[in-house]
Amino acid sequence: MWSPTKTLRISTAGVRGLAGRGLEAEHALDFGAAFAGLIDADGPILTARDTRASGRMLVEGVTASLLACGRDVVDLGITSTPVMQHAIRGLHAAGGISIGASHNSAEWNALKFLGPQGNYLGTAEAAELLDIYHLRRFPFVTWDKLGRRSEAPDAVDRYLDNIAAEFDLAALGDVRVLVDCCNGTSGAVLRRLRERSRIDFVLLNEPEESVQFAHEPQTTQKAVERHLAPLVKPTGAAAAFLFDLDSDRVAMADEHGVALSEELLLPMLADFQLQRRRGNVVLANVSSTALLEEVAQRYGGQVHRVAVGRQAAMDALSAHRAEDIALAGEGTGAVMLPQFRFVYDGVAAMLAVLTMMKERGRTLSQLMADYPRYSMLKCEMPLRTRRLPEMLHQLEERFAGERQHRLDGLRVDFVDGPAPVWFHVRVSQTEPVIRIICEQRGEAPRQLFEELREMVGGWQ
Amino acid sequence: MAAREHLLKIGVSGVRGVVGGFLTPMLAAKFAQAFGTYTGHGRVVLGRDTRASGPMLEHAVTCGLMSVGCEVVKLGVMPTPVIQTWIAETKAAGGIALTASHNPAEYNALKLFNHEGLFFNQYEREELLHLYHQSEFSRAAFDDVALAWEEGEKPVDAHIARILALIDHEAIRRRRFRVALDGVNGAGSLMSIRFLREVLGCELHAIHVNPALPFPRVAEPGPETLGELAALVQREHCDIGFGQDPDGDRLAVADERGVVMDNDDVLALAMDAALHRAGGDVVVNLTTSSVVDAVAAKHGRRVFRSPVGEANVVERMKVVHAGVGGEGSNGGLIFPSVHYCRDSYTAMALLLDQMARTGSSIHQLQEVLPQFTRRGGKVRFRHGTLGPLMQKLEARFAEAAMDHSDGLKLNIGDSWIHVRASNTEPLLRVAVESPSTERADELFAEVSAMLAT
Repeated sequence: MWSPTKTLRISTAGVRGLAGRGLEAEHALDFGAAFAGLIDADGPILTARDTRASGRMLVEGVTASLLACGRDVVDLGITSTPVMQHAIRGLHAAGGISIGASHNSAEWNALKFLGPQGNYLGTAEAAELLDIYHLRRFPFVTWDKLGRRSEAPDAVDRYLDNIAAEFDLAALGDVRVLVDCCNGTSGAVLRRLRERSRIDFVLLNEPEESVQFAHEPQTTQKAVERHLAPLVKPTGAAAAFLFDLDSDRVAMADEHGVALSEELLLPMLADFQLQRRRGNVVLANVSSTALLEEVAQRYGGQVHRVAVGRQAAMDALSAHRAEDIALAGEGTGAVMLPQFRFVYDGVAAMLAVLTMMKERGRTLSQLMADYPRYSMLKCEMPLRTRRLPEMLHQLEERFAGERQHRLDGLRVDFVDGPAPVWFHVRVSQTEPVIRIICEQRGEAPRQLFEELREMVGGWQ
Repeated sequence: MAAREHLLKIGVSGVRGVVGGFLTPMLAAKFAQAFGTYTGHGRVVLGRDTRASGPMLEHAVTCGLMSVGCEVVKLGVMPTPVIQTWIAETKAAGGIALTASHNPAEYNALKLFNHEGLFFNQYEREELLHLYHQSEFSRAAFDDVALAWEEGEKPVDAHIARILALIDHEAIRRRRFRVALDGVNGAGSLMSIRFLREVLGCELHAIHVNPALPFPRVAEPGPETLGELAALVQREHCDIGFGQDPDGDRLAVADERGVVMDNDDVLALAMDAALHRAGGDVVVNLTTSSVVDAVAAKHGRRVFRSPVGEANVVERMKVVHAGVGGEGSNGGLIFPSVHYCRDSYTAMALLLDQMARTGSSIHQLQEVLPQFTRRGGKVRFRHGTLGPLMQKLEARFAEAAMDHSDGLKLNIGDSWIHVRASNTEPLLRVAVESPSTERADELFAEVSAMLAT
């Protein structure tokens, strides 16, 4: 049962909770020291945060512990997670701690841990971090070996150098792009990108805010529809993008002001990458649209499905050769281009979409018309039962004979029907809810969806 | 055992310890949380001396304060007295100085101040300690985490302005004193240069005034540690030499001959100057020399004695509305017209003020003070033996006027003996004073022998 006093989640994905109501100063201090114990590589450890007020407090705690354990700290201030991930490589840092709660509302915050390649920690490393945290044996040094703190004010520019090496920014010039920054970290990055390219960014909700954002920074079709889509036509933009607070996720609307499903970014960029013959494997989780398979088939590519969550994607990524990967991502607008193998990056995803429009000489709505319609239904139900194994078993029994995956909850694919249909039922890692997702090529699978809601609801 | 007790001390005077596995960032943050919970929401002024561990602790304390909803006013490297003044100037809720004062570089500590910029009194300190142990702190919600900001030079300006209002600085400037300074690369280094050279118009010869470098000598300023300063005074033919401690509250002085003066005499001379500028009585600790009584008598003021420790002296000063106070052996002058804080800047200004006003050299001023011989030492004792030892002393000196407010003080005619236990170790500190050198040696030898058995 959800209650405001039970918001702390410490897992291999990081540390997350309501600031001051679960996620406390102690966690910043203890995890800063534990991270110093985990990281063997030489070099400084970077810190950065999104615009949240509680980030100020957390970054101080992380810094104190890193210094106390003899690690030099380079602070990037308020900046996006992708900027930090690039800076870890650029500055030959040993790792980084990113403080920010991404798409969650302002009262949340989180600590995210990045390794020496700018990568999120793999599950094994993250588990070791938790062991050090629980053991509470931290590698403090004597007073004459303490770390020193400095700042790296040019991290955004170094990041854009890497971006400019991958995208032909000059060729993208003179296009008007509407962006909702959600009062997060994307504003500063895009202002600088505007100066360095001829892209005519029109930025909404650009000021960095600390306790109240213009709206929840969810990168969903619904959010785009409500907050961004109505402004596309009045501004004459060719496309519109909405970023979450730390700019790793993005959602979009076309030139007519139609909000696009958040599921479409992944297939679209799979199309972009596979056409360029950059690898032939698309990594996606079991909750993402089946359109991916259809697009991949056009180019003879393959889709590898993994469990939901960044961690599973990271583990799967490290099991593949870099040149085989065409794309990795989630149906939440978090996409990783293999050129930047280690980072989910909303800005890079946006530039890939703009490049695709330019190269194919088509508008965003025309590009979308290339893809058949898939209809997805999603819902979340409060988690009120502990008998989850029985619940999942009941679903297995009910749909015996269909193709079933028990990778992460239960996914069932109905392969024999007139149109491809699948559903996925799983427990969220971050919130006490059960998520139900159903998708069908063409019309929405309403009947199946209702049946699932009823079955799952029966266990509540 | 004794060594371990020494590495970390959490007590009524705050937290002090060796940085590393003992004074950890977690512990500092937790103490800051207790402090912030105790003072309540509001601005907390935070500054530090130049110790290598200062920045680390500053981040930890900032984290702790913010987590309980305090705004943090960061002064960065700043002398402790300036931090205290700024708390009062800005009506902050309280303040923390990160400094182990005269202790070695591996130590650091949190010095805690109330909303007036004063040490907490004994009862407040105990309350805070209970709160720390209870560990039930306020928790700032996401929209309640306040800002941290920096103040630049404003606190220094304010502190200097307070001092200048109380002395004749034009007279000091006219004299163009030749002044030597050993700043121990401490928090006051840059302020001292500005204060002595630009504000008071002295011809300054300064050493160890780079806050980025480690302490070049034992941090406590005194006759044994200021050899370089004494040589500098001689080489540059200075009128006076000043030696500071890392957080700028303590002061030791070399006279124009290059002789480092007795700290009790320095206190007496600064008090003489202060009593020329302000009314009120005098408060010193029990171990401070009787030379102070002579100075007070000259001005027709009374002398009150308090237990050892700046907090105790200040507490008594407030009660009796004292005009000046201090602690002899520590070289600390407290002049409440500036602020109730031990302050090397006020002491420097008052000594130069006295020299300018009288036209005498610092040695000439010292020469007219009555002469006392002081002897002091430390004796180790076993826990549990203290009571019988003290009773033995009382029986031996039954004719003495006794004071039990801090250990045992025996006033025997114009001589006295003070024996008190250290706060941190099983050590007895013994101090003896007499106008007669033979009598002082005799008393010290006898007491030492009694305590050693």
